[in-house]
Amino acid sequence: MMNPFRAIGYSLWIGKEIVTGTVDVLTGIFKAGEYGRPMIVELPLRCETDVEITLMASSITITPGTLVVASAAADERSRATLFVHALFGESEADVLEGLYEMEDRLLHMTRGRKPEPISSWTAVQRPSGEAGSTERSAQ
Amino acid sequence: MIPDTLAITLVGVFGITGSAIVLLCAVAMFRANDALSRINVFSPATGLAMPLILLAAYIYTLWHDGFSLTRLFMAVAGFLALIVVSSVASNVLSRSTFAGGAPVWRHTSPNRLSEAPGDEDAGLTEYESTLADFDIDDSEH
Repeated sequence: MMNPFRAIGYSLWIGKEIVTGTVDVLTGIFKAGEYGRPMIVELPLRCETDVEITLMASSITITPGTLVVASAAADERSRATLFVHALFGESEADVLEGLYEMEDRLLHMTRGRKPEPISSWTAVQRPSGEAGSTERSAQ
Repeated sequence: MIPDTLAITLVGVFGITGSAIVLLCAVAMFRANDALSRINVFSPATGLAMPLILLAAYIYTLWHDGFSLTRLFMAVAGFLALIVVSSVASNVLSRSTFAGGAPVWRHTSPNRLSEAPGDEDAGLTEYESTLADFDIDDSEH
């Protein structure tokens, strides 16, 4: 069972993200040129259970500027993966960093401890020699 | 129960801010270039503006009719439902938009749904990648 105080803290943080995302969406209207810099990034999740994955997808979608477009189930070769449409990121790395921070906070709430950093699990969890393993850990 | 000035100010601030966000989101939907971007810029309206309008309505009832547990329950249930329904609905909308084959704006870059990370053909047209596959030098044309 998750700690209710952590859940409140996470909700407040999501609220802050909603406000900053709203500011991005609204200030984008008044900038000249094309609206936003859309990109679809691939986000391999550290979330394991259905609850964590659902909360993560909902958190991403409720934040203005990011939207879950597709999801891929986990199998023995890869993690559950979300494909996220981001509108206001500087670069792919920048967007992924924000999403990983959200996942850190989410897993800290559901598990009561912080998950391992991304750099360690990509190396350890992925079987070596698999196609795609080097590409993903390079991100 | 609440002083008149405070109540009117809060109702005005929350109500007008919420309405203005909905209006600006509609403008942003005109500026956006494809269906996914439009769903994306709509989330401030459902995620922030509608809860703000609900809050304004609740403060108005509180000021007008006084505190009632039923009204508080209605407001809290409405708030939670807005948050949950809007995020789940946006998820369903965006996934069905993509699964239905709606075109994605061509300047969406990178697009990891159409190209894998490290794809050597990323950013090339089909013609160029076919030439590259067969080591054909097309530079003199």
